[in-house]
Amino acid sequence: MKRVAVRNLRLCTKDCICLYVCPTGATDTENSIIDVEKCIGCENCALACPSSAISMVPLEYPKQQPKDDAMVATLNTLAQSKADQEKMALQIAGGTSKDSLYRLMKAIAKSERILAEDVMREAGFMLPQSHNAHAILEELIETPPTPDFPAEAARKLMENLPDNG
Amino acid sequence: MKYICSICGYIYDEAAEGTPFEALPADWKCPLCKAAKTDFKPEAAPAPEDTAPQTATADTATNTVPEADLKKLSAGQLAALCSNLARGCEKMYKEEEAGLFRELAAYFTKITPAIPDADVEKLASLLQGDINSYDSIRAQADALKDRGAARVCVWGEKVTRMLSSLVTRYLHDGESLLAGTDIWVCTACGFVYIGETPPELCPVCKVPDWKFEKIERRAKA
Ligand code: SF4
Ligand code: SF4
Repeated sequence: MKRVAVRNLRLCTKDCICLYVCPTGATDTENSIIDVEKCIGCENCALACPSSAISMVPLEYPKQQPKDDAMVATLNTLAQSKADQEKMALQIAGGTSKDSLYRLMKAIAKSERILAEDVMREAGFMLPQSHNAHAILEELIETPPTPDFPAEAARKLMENLPDNG
Repeated sequence: MKYICSICGYIYDEAAEGTPFEALPADWKCPLCKAAKTDFKPEAAPAPEDTAPQTATADTATNTVPEADLKKLSAGQLAALCSNLARGCEKMYKEEEAGLFRELAAYFTKITPAIPDADVEKLASLLQGDINSYDSIRAQADALKDRGAARVCVWGEKVTRMLSSLVTRYLHDGESLLAGTDIWVCTACGFVYIGETPPELCPVCKVPDWKFEKIERRAKA
């Protein structure tokens, strides 16, 4: 499986050994993002980096684990509940001038979204390249929920992230 | 006797602390995650006051999706689905795709219909409904050996308990809850923490403090 190096900019302390060990100059870029066109996946940089800031990632991701239908139904219900709570918290935050209530509701809305994201991930939407994700995008492009649905973004995603089955 | 925090697992050992748990003031908080005293359960004993039957049965009905609608996801679900895939793209260092999924997520957040009569009490009862549902979801996940779904339950239940605990405190304390202090959200698991600085490690999912995001005050119009 072909791999390329990616640098975690948050961990990278800049300006050290990866520049010297790369046989193709892929690590030497002005924006610190490793050039995937040049990278040949030799792993030299990842092994040399003193900050463990470089990982080798596959160009193609493995297929997603299949999910049980009943489990998905349960998880969808849970996600809906989290989504309702997020919406409610945002409505309360939007309608109050009280500082504690405002911040508490904003915090709760953010938390609920993270919870719902985690649930949706386990409900069959782990990989952006999965067939499930593709099917949803396709359906949305065909039957947009409202006229202002950003179909261009959805189309671009289908193009950039090939369905891995 | 030992008492265990149901959110972060902190153990209050009466023998080591010297003060009986019952003698602690009502506003005493978990030293690790600041959960309320009522979020502690005696070790290895069934928690009698935990059942809360009156709120449970009435409210679970309001937040269910008909099973036939499984294929058709709501705007709220699609918003979370898309922002989750945006995070997935971020983890793969696919910035452009992450941005596109965020755009879709923002669209679905915008078109999510308002919930009628949103107020703090109603939110509190929905949170309680979720807390009551975790046992059966976990049982289903365990029966199917779905480790991922089981993990969602472990983190989700703890975070939901914390949210419920904070809403209850707000209903009791009102505006003094955040007076002169800050509120933080763990961007990995959703745990919410009140304090001047975030905890060194998230008490629920153990990520470091820089994964916490501070909630800013409303910008003055
Ligand atoms: S070796 Fe590692 S820390 Fe140093 S510049 Fe390269 S990626 Fe950054
Ligand atoms: S994996 Fe090899 S070719 Fe790719 S950036 Fe690192 S050192 Fe350069």
